[in-house]
Amino acid sequence: MPKITIDGREIELPDGQRMNVIEAAKLSGVEIPHYCYHPGLPVVGSCRMCLIETGNCDAKTGEIKMQPKLVPGCTVPATDGLVIVTANEKVRQARAMVEEDLLLRHPVDCPICDKAGECTLQDYYFKYGQASRRTDVMPFTSRKRDLGDVNLFIDRCVLCSRCVRFCAEVSGTAELMIANRGAHEEIDVVPDFPLHNELSGNVVDLCPVGALADKDFLYQQRVWFMRRHRSVCTDCSVGCSIWVEENQDQIYRLKPRENPHVNKWWICNQGRYGYHHVHDANRLAVPRVRKDGKTVDLSWNGLPEELKSKLFTAGHLGGVFSPFISVEEAYLLAKLLRSIDPQAVLAMGPMPRVGEDQKFPGGFVITAEKVPNRRGIEEILGYFMHKVLSFEDFLQEMQRIEFGGVWVSGGYKGPWIEDSAARRFEKIPLLIVQDLFPSSLSERATYQLPAAAFSEREGSYMNRDDRLQTANMAVRPPWGVRAEGSLFWQMLGRKGLYNSRTVLDDLSREVLYFAPAAGPLPDTGLDMKINKLAEVGALTAKTA
Amino acid sequence: MLPIVLVALIKVGLVIGGLMTAAAYLVLGERWIAAWIQDRKGPNRVGIPLTKIRLFGLGQPLADGVKFLFKAEYTPAHVDKGLYFFAPMTIFITAIAVFAVIPFGSFLPSDIFPASWGVHEPINLVIAPGVDVGMIFVFAMGSIAVYGVVLGGWASNSKYSFLGGLRSSAQLIGYELPLGLGILGVVLSSGSLRLDAIMEHQAQTGAWNAFVQPLGMIVFCVASFAEASRLPFDLPEAEQELIGGYHTEYFGIKLMMYLVGEYLHMVAAAFLIVMLFFGGWHFWGLTGSGNIVTWGEAILRIVVLNVKVLGMVFFFMVARWSWARFRYDQLMSLAWLVMLPMGMVNLAYVAIWEEYGGDWARSAGFSPQIAMTLCGWAVFSVTWYVATKMSPSQGDNRPRRQSRESNIRPGFEAEK
Amino acid sequence: MKTDDARIRWVESPKLGMLGKSYLTLFIKGLTTTLGHLFFHKKVTLESPEQRHKVLDPVNYRGVHRLNKDEQGRVKCVACFLCATACPAHCIDIVAEPSPWPDREKYPKVFNIDELRCIFCGMCEQACPVEAIELTSFYDLTGASREEMIFDKEKLLSVFDQTKEREPMPSKRANDAAQDRLKTCPTSGDSS
Repeated sequence: MPKITIDGREIELPDGQRMNVIEAAKLSGVEIPHYCYHPGLPVVGSCRMCLIETGNCDAKTGEIKMQPKLVPGCTVPATDGLVIVTANEKVRQARAMVEEDLLLRHPVDCPICDKAGECTLQDYYFKYGQASRRTDVMPFTSRKRDLGDVNLFIDRCVLCSRCVRFCAEVSGTAELMIANRGAHEEIDVVPDFPLHNELSGNVVDLCPVGALADKDFLYQQRVWFMRRHRSVCTDCSVGCSIWVEENQDQIYRLKPRENPHVNKWWICNQGRYGYHHVHDANRLAVPRVRKDGKTVDLSWNGLPEELKSKLFTAGHLGGVFSPFISVEEAYLLAKLLRSIDPQAVLAMGPMPRVGEDQKFPGGFVITAEKVPNRRGIEEILGYFMHKVLSFEDFLQEMQRIEFGGVWVSGGYKGPWIEDSAARRFEKIPLLIVQDLFPSSLSERATYQLPAAAFSEREGSYMNRDDRLQTANMAVRPPWGVRAEGSLFWQMLGRKGLYNSRTVLDDLSREVLYFAPAAGPLPDTGLDMKINKLAEVGALTAKTA
Repeated sequence: MLPIVLVALIKVGLVIGGLMTAAAYLVLGERWIAAWIQDRKGPNRVGIPLTKIRLFGLGQPLADGVKFLFKAEYTPAHVDKGLYFFAPMTIFITAIAVFAVIPFGSFLPSDIFPASWGVHEPINLVIAPGVDVGMIFVFAMGSIAVYGVVLGGWASNSKYSFLGGLRSSAQLIGYELPLGLGILGVVLSSGSLRLDAIMEHQAQTGAWNAFVQPLGMIVFCVASFAEASRLPFDLPEAEQELIGGYHTEYFGIKLMMYLVGEYLHMVAAAFLIVMLFFGGWHFWGLTGSGNIVTWGEAILRIVVLNVKVLGMVFFFMVARWSWARFRYDQLMSLAWLVMLPMGMVNLAYVAIWEEYGGDWARSAGFSPQIAMTLCGWAVFSVTWYVATKMSPSQGDNRPRRQSRESNIRPGFEAEK
Repeated sequence: MKTDDARIRWVESPKLGMLGKSYLTLFIKGLTTTLGHLFFHKKVTLESPEQRHKVLDPVNYRGVHRLNKDEQGRVKCVACFLCATACPAHCIDIVAEPSPWPDREKYPKVFNIDELRCIFCGMCEQACPVEAIELTSFYDLTGASREEMIFDKEKLLSVFDQTKEREPMPSKRANDAAQDRLKTCPTSGDSS
């Protein structure tokens, strides 16, 4: 185990991990300020903010030899016997000088800068900078340039080159470059080749200052007003970990949440900007019933009981499970339908696919399957039905079996059902459709229920690699909308408020596959493939 | 028969109408006095509705009453419905019923009626003339008012009201004893329970009971302040410091009944103080004595009585801003440890004087009134001195600090 | 802190003498105070709609807000939300937008102040980096509905038009003061 000494404190680093001094110091709780270094990008050591004093401790004699000059921490690998000092006057002065230099031509337009509040230049200047400026070398300018997907405020830039490296290494498109030399260096794109790729939004998160500004978020909200909630991206079956940032039930932006098993530090633009449907004015907002050819608005008062009694008298039941609902909600819905009709046919909803899987040089993947929870629903259906019926199978079944009532859960972000398929539901006497947006199916529904968007529900999703991740509720559903989970919870006659954790506990007790989910789930999710391995192990043991 | 009924009905109408109006305008007067004492102007805007005539704010009571009447009439879900309605009525009805035996003047000459009606006796200005147990009736009604307080606190079914009700009933019951003792001295000396007889007695001797029984006067005054829940004894409400008391859960017309009832208690207390201790309608050389009166005397008596009562009410209102509220334990120890013994001393003194003092003074050649006055003030001074010396009501009920000296010393030394 | 802490200094209530204990001094003091005020003191009430409060210093007074305009008549506010951040009553609601003018980056599309929620603490004025929001000396604002009392950008700008003569902006005040100093300064007048 390598041992290093940081500010006189000896710490042991985990074996077999290569890390630099910044990471090692972070492990021991010491912050080394840095701009250009990012764990997901190659190291350049250009900002000089992480300058520290290093030395070596002779293992035999215990003698410490310090190096005469300061070195950037990001370039120093943490090896056994390393001694670093981050808290002496020399380092402090070096940091203050870097701060002073960076602020020489910085416009300090923090009041109108979207980064203010989460800006490392602000934070570091307060922590490590000087109390006041010693000089004004030139009048401030505030130039703005449209780079394509994002805006660039040229004079705010500290030239850390994170964005340039990101485009070169992670997205592999290399649109950005540093133009000019010396004091005239600035970020730019080659004319006629704007920054435009599937991952371009990440450069805004990477930018340690407010130089790169998101066009979607531009001037929408100050960052200190927003609260962030742990969530999971529902735009494809990768299931990236995200933060949902909202203020007063209005989502302002989504940001990647670091998860080494799924998305590292990145998310794609589709996921990043894929929250606008939550605040779409066209969303279904009230439950409606169709009576004698007319649709009438209902209130939720007594509606769950009414639905339940209707289902009880409907006869043979069917259920279509959208891959957009969470594992818990699917389990509750399956329980509900099966408790009313033990022979209820449960099937998967349609599975939208767009294009092909995309893999980026940095390892980031965008899958073609645009649903978050296919694997979770499959496991639930497999438990209740012992086989997984696809939507096409269900349409076949509808010709074979006379259904008295069908519950269709939608929640797709766009149009998801063709007219021809919707028309085949026409003859069902009790069709309950729960959806975000009006569709040709919801028009034919006996009961039309508004569904909650991904940010309005709490529950777990299982991505294509069988990783179970929990998303918290970020915003409250609009007035008139009830999240599926709480509706099913009430219809099942459970007491109190819907709690996804309780449901997941029940699920892990009842369904063998979900047994590992019994405890608290880590923020980075739980790999359910362990289960499969155990099954395979049991099989091989049997055959042997 | 008919004239007597007619007279009684007119008197009832006069008293109730007069009391309601008086209560309304006394509230206005109290607000004015409160404002003037605080260097404000007080309500001076409301005049005749829909005009710009202000009348110095004389329309204010009407506006207040209308506001109370038009407040949302609403019964909290958790209350005991029957008692909740019954309690304010209790307090209101008893407060008015007290005035059945309280005279609002002396007599009117009998020639107000034509001679053919056959009424030859002067008309007694009290609703129920000749009630021999007048003072006991007053007491009975006053005690029933406690039920209004307790029931209100109980029926509201809220902790604040309940505690307020308990607090008030303890106070009201506690101060009824000194109240009774204060009256007993007067009753002993005048030999009657009838208020008109007591006034008549003072008028005949010319010495008001306040002069000859100062101790009884003090005891009675303090007790009636407490009974009327007026500052400095307004612990039942104490709106600045405690939740509203037993009528926390009341509003609108029912709250008005409580408030008017309490106001009438104050008016009744003022009447009683004036009649028992300040000679009632009597004023030396103006009003004469006896029940055969001229018209001039009759009107003078009414005026004198009401001026005295208004003066007393004024004192009630000024007292509100003059002295700080008693702490509750001080309030109770004042009743039981100071006022009760004082009342007993007064009673004993009056009894001894009535048995021996008058004869002694006459035999010694003094005027009995002057002798009793001197004696009464001597007894008063001695009792007051003793009470001051013992000062039982100045008790400190704060938690005792153990070994206080040793606590203070190190602190001071450390500072030095 | 315990009761036997050495730093605690116990203060005893003053001991009453015989006169005090007998309530006589209390009685006399109380009555003289109240009766004195009742008869001999001047009334301090100001009868409001007819008589007006005199605002001693309109510049320092914290009344209704205004949004200042620059020389070209545009709103000075840059929609930095600092006033909304500083506001302890959460009464300021701003929606920002890229500005249509070349010399400015950001400006408020919507600027609402809920005057009913406002506690008139003046922190917005202190927080503002561009002296755009200020409190004027208007103190008696009334309205018939809650909606009416939510002042929007136009209304706040119109308050500026009404008060700009009487209560100039701090920068203008400083400018004027400097001009005055130049005028009255004898040396500068002599030398020129």
